[in-house]
Amino acid sequence: MSIISELTKALPKNSVISGEENTRPFECDGLSVYKQKPLAVTLPSSVDQIKKVLEICKKNNTPVVTRGAGTGLSGGALPLKDSVVLGLSKLTRILSIDPEAQTAIVEPGVRNSAISEAVEEYGLYYAPDPSSQIACTIGGNVAENSGGVHCLKYGLTVQNLEAVKILTIDGEELFFSRQDEGMGLLALMTGSEGLLGVISEITVKLTKKPQVAKLVMAGFDSVRDCANTVAEIIKIGVIPAGLEMMDQFAIEASEAFAQAGYPLGAKALLLCELDGSKDLVKEDLNKVINILSKASSVRVSENEEERLLFWKGRKSAFPAVGRLSPDYYCMDGTIPKRYLADVLEKISSLSAIYELRVANVFHAGDGNLHPLILYDAAQQGELEKAEGFGNDILKLCVDMGGSITGEHGVGIEKLDAMCHQYNSSELEIFHQIKAVFDPHSLLNPGKAVPTLHRCAELGNMHVHNGNLPHPELERF
Amino acid sequence: MSSISEMQHKVRQANKLRITNNDKDSEEEQLNMSSYSGVVEYFPEELVITLKAGTTIDEVNKILSKNNQALAFFTDDSKKTIGSLYATSGAEFSDSVLGVQIINGKGELLNFGGQVMKNVAGYDVSRLLVGSMGRLAIITQISLKILPEKVAVQFHKKPSIKNKESLSREQVEIKLKKVFDPYGVFI
Repeated sequence: MSIISELTKALPKNSVISGEENTRPFECDGLSVYKQKPLAVTLPSSVDQIKKVLEICKKNNTPVVTRGAGTGLSGGALPLKDSVVLGLSKLTRILSIDPEAQTAIVEPGVRNSAISEAVEEYGLYYAPDPSSQIACTIGGNVAENSGGVHCLKYGLTVQNLEAVKILTIDGEELFFSRQDEGMGLLALMTGSEGLLGVISEITVKLTKKPQVAKLVMAGFDSVRDCANTVAEIIKIGVIPAGLEMMDQFAIEASEAFAQAGYPLGAKALLLCELDGSKDLVKEDLNKVINILSKASSVRVSENEEERLLFWKGRKSAFPAVGRLSPDYYCMDGTIPKRYLADVLEKISSLSAIYELRVANVFHAGDGNLHPLILYDAAQQGELEKAEGFGNDILKLCVDMGGSITGEHGVGIEKLDAMCHQYNSSELEIFHQIKAVFDPHSLLNPGKAVPTLHRCAELGNMHVHNGNLPHPELERF
Repeated sequence: MSSISEMQHKVRQANKLRITNNDKDSEEEQLNMSSYSGVVEYFPEELVITLKAGTTIDEVNKILSKNNQALAFFTDDSKKTIGSLYATSGAEFSDSVLGVQIINGKGELLNFGGQVMKNVAGYDVSRLLVGSMGRLAIITQISLKILPEKVAVQFHKKPSIKNKESLSREQVEIKLKKVFDPYGVFI
């Protein structure tokens, strides 16, 4: 019996999709330059059904690619040839809400914003807010350790989890909680990109809705002044709920798209959200306004409607920039904040060298850059050029003491860049961690961690103290 | 121990090694980390401090309070070192961890995580090793997220009661120990 008929037999009607045409909607995730149709797509609707899929795939030695809503930006859910996609979008139940303990137990296919909607009546919400939050699933958020615009104050996914249940490839159920004694296995699972297990149930931490939120919008005539203001705000002891920066290109594109009232002509825009009790917000607002002396324009949201309008420009920046170019490539590097201005200048000079335009929109508060490289895939060689530009930006981030990815994950996209961030001994530890949970490498194999061979071939192996790691390996 | 290369040498030579903070009278070979202390880097505007593992909480607090900043986790004994807290704590502590430098059981010096708030490249080893009781690797250096004093206070909750270890967790932990310490040096 073929694996497709085995799966069809084991699962309810309409839970297995196969064939060229039918699997097309699953051929890529949010990073659509990479496409691959799988052998089949399975859409189980219970944990028992997930176990059946895993059992059949294991028996047939077939790789499994777990998928949430497919909104990821690094190709983490890109199907592999001859793999089975394990789509969890049917597991959408909110199993319980405990307003007292501020937790909720949910299935992996629940959408991020559906959690906040469900707990709104208790004055609570789920804090991490990736920009895809209307569509993306909580299971995918855990797998990627997703961020958003409010991480500086409220943390990433990992700080907002109470517990997870994991199914191993052997169908064993593991439960890791914040309250556990011992190693940080809950943290290990978070951001493991579907390589260690299938996340089957999540207990999220809920946050009390702030009494007030105000958004300060400040335009600057110099990028450096704007970047320095970011550091100033932190120095005076204010932790904004969100602290975002946009460059001139992004300001103009967003304004044309969203008419949010952004200061056209400004070289940089700072969005600083302050939230909490009325008194605290008032106090923080005064402090922040006082240090905005170098700003060319300052506006504070008068009401909720205006606050959301100011955000609308920022939140629609990607599609707004996308309108100006046939294609764009979104990067996700992080750097220490003190290098913001330097890195932006360097990116702008790289833009001239590669002859590709770039718009900068980013989470300035936590040093997470999202340069958008504009290119035209229809032009021969332009995608490769965009990727080259992107890789140079990521190397720059690592060289500045940062990381190649702050919240989008490595997936298939940043495997080469991983060779720059980690040496072979560190990568080897990652491979061995995978082998602890998935010895036959059936869960999303080939993603997230590059092979040592790949890095050696690239020739940009990390060299520690002048000693080449693994001198016994051949280099090409 | 006062230098990384000394520590690496000791790991490579030793059969069994216990990582400690004081020289106990013991048959076992020990690695006293208390003298490996001090601030490696501290940028108040980054909300990040990087410490050598032997630094005591008292020392850290003294430095941070000059800038009206504080650690974001609760600790009832400020005489403890940051390394020993790291080895024995749970999620409340690891929420603050951004990166670590370690020496594994082969004596290799490795870095995981970093000094930035967001880093999802590779498995989260810098938080995995929190609570590992010094049995997987020597933690030489730790980078932590810090907060303004008045914000930090609200995070200073006492950690809750811990669950007993489950059988499946025990199995996983045994295997993970072998990943970092294949020769079983650290006891």
